[in-house]
Amino acid sequence: MSSVVLSKTRTNQRANASGQIDPERVKALFPIFRNNELTRNLSYLDNAATSQKPEVVMQAMDDAMRLFHSPVNRGFYPLAEQTTTRYEQARERLKSFIGAETDTSVIFTASATDSINQVAQGFLLARLKPGQNVWVTRMEHHSNYLPWQDVCEKSGASLRIIELNSTGELDLDRHPDIFSDTTAMIALTQTSNVLGTTNDVKAICEQAKQKHIPVLIDAAQAVVSNTINVQQLGCDFLVFSAHKMFAPTGIGLLYIAPDRLDQVQPVRLGGGMVDFAADSIADTTWSEAPHCFEAGSPNLVGAIGFAAACDFVESLGQANIKAHIGELATTLYQQLSHYPNLHLVSPAKHLSSGIVSFYHDVIHAHDLAQIMGDSGVAVRAGHHCAQPLLRHLGVSSTLRISISVYNTNDDINAVMNALAHAEKVFA
Amino acid sequence: MSDSQLYKAQLLDHFKKPRNKAVGELTTMQVVKRGSNPRCGDDIEVGFCLNNNTIEPIQFRGRGCSVCIASASMMTESIKGQPAEYAKKIAAQMQRWIAGEDVKMPEMLLPLEAVRQHPARKKCVMLAWHALVEGMEECNV
Repeated sequence: MSSVVLSKTRTNQRANASGQIDPERVKALFPIFRNNELTRNLSYLDNAATSQKPEVVMQAMDDAMRLFHSPVNRGFYPLAEQTTTRYEQARERLKSFIGAETDTSVIFTASATDSINQVAQGFLLARLKPGQNVWVTRMEHHSNYLPWQDVCEKSGASLRIIELNSTGELDLDRHPDIFSDTTAMIALTQTSNVLGTTNDVKAICEQAKQKHIPVLIDAAQAVVSNTINVQQLGCDFLVFSAHKMFAPTGIGLLYIAPDRLDQVQPVRLGGGMVDFAADSIADTTWSEAPHCFEAGSPNLVGAIGFAAACDFVESLGQANIKAHIGELATTLYQQLSHYPNLHLVSPAKHLSSGIVSFYHDVIHAHDLAQIMGDSGVAVRAGHHCAQPLLRHLGVSSTLRISISVYNTNDDINAVMNALAHAEKVFA
Repeated sequence: MSDSQLYKAQLLDHFKKPRNKAVGELTTMQVVKRGSNPRCGDDIEVGFCLNNNTIEPIQFRGRGCSVCIASASMMTESIKGQPAEYAKKIAAQMQRWIAGEDVKMPEMLLPLEAVRQHPARKKCVMLAWHALVEGMEECNV
């Protein structure tokens, strides 16, 4: 291995030394808000879909391409060795970010969706039997619903749904057989991308552990404003994507608990994940984890950006982020609640997620989003890839406002002005 | 103010007071076809009768955004009482026009012009037209 001393990335600068988020100062760290006409005065409130990227993340990725780009785990020259080291350092960074026991449990995937599919296909499918149940919740994103539905239908098992109570929280008491011997798996989101409800995933993991039921947590919406510690949670699998936490698209994380690693089969086969490629798959041997789950040339630039985003999030502090977005969401919620034609579907108790969803009696969510968009307010309208939840709510679409570190009171005012304008247009 | 001018007065008028929109089932229609877009929840039915090769009456029902409902309303207005071949021709022109081609369209449909600048709304605007085309195919038009 080369003894090149790796320079520290510029991501270690503290973006927020004081504790409390100063959104204007944080916003200045995001080049998009000063780069063009479309974004200069934009109130970007579609953060649950994807976040904007700070300069430090771009710079780290730029460095990866300009300064040390070469193959990962495949070269014997100093540059390639340095690149491999950088990639593995990114893994180490993710390991500390989620409090994992070992870096063999930290797997880079293409996305949170890809991570879940790998667990469904590579872990659950082979062990799932007819008559068993797989539990998900009513508030799941399609990414944490369809993969389980698929393996259940392939193996004769049943997909069961943990329903919600009237306050938009999981009604665990309604389903006494969740933590029973018939349960093969529980997969649930930590924070709903539509409601903003944050579930007590730790309590569910604790109960599941008593029955040795594996649990997968989708932390995609939670990771920016909640410190994740997989050991304290006691989960078997945890997934999230990079792009919702200020890093690029195309890369996600899959955490597999050490005692589950041997129970997961690779589903992506190809270069870099095989030790001995025999004449038949039966005789082929896979590399050790995590490499057996990372077929193909690793996403070096994405991993470097992902790691830089961990630094960025921690420099702001998840607790500070939660306080900031929760405060703005509460302000927005209170103002929206005065509108007689609006129906808020986000529980008031869970506004610290920064997510406020609602629908309008008269104006279709797509029309509302379009008019808001024309007024410089970027929001999401539709079913948010959560059709089972929308059916439960009895609506075909909602409008979702999702708040992040760079949003200010001006953005909330912009929402209210755009809403008033939309009501005039449709009066 | 809405920069796109998507929500023109005529479009909003057709949304708020849709023409030829039925409240109940389209039971009296000779052909009924459904157009739905699960991605956004738009879900409508278009029904019509074909007498002596003339489309009369034509109705629609269902729910959708303003673009979807206004387009359905304008469609029924622009083709009712017209020969089937005319309706087929206009539907084909509509498809090309919304896709961005330079096509001369009947004045009735011009308030939909701004939709051409909004790719995300093209499915909404075409939903009723696709149902109409399906219905006419069933009648071998």
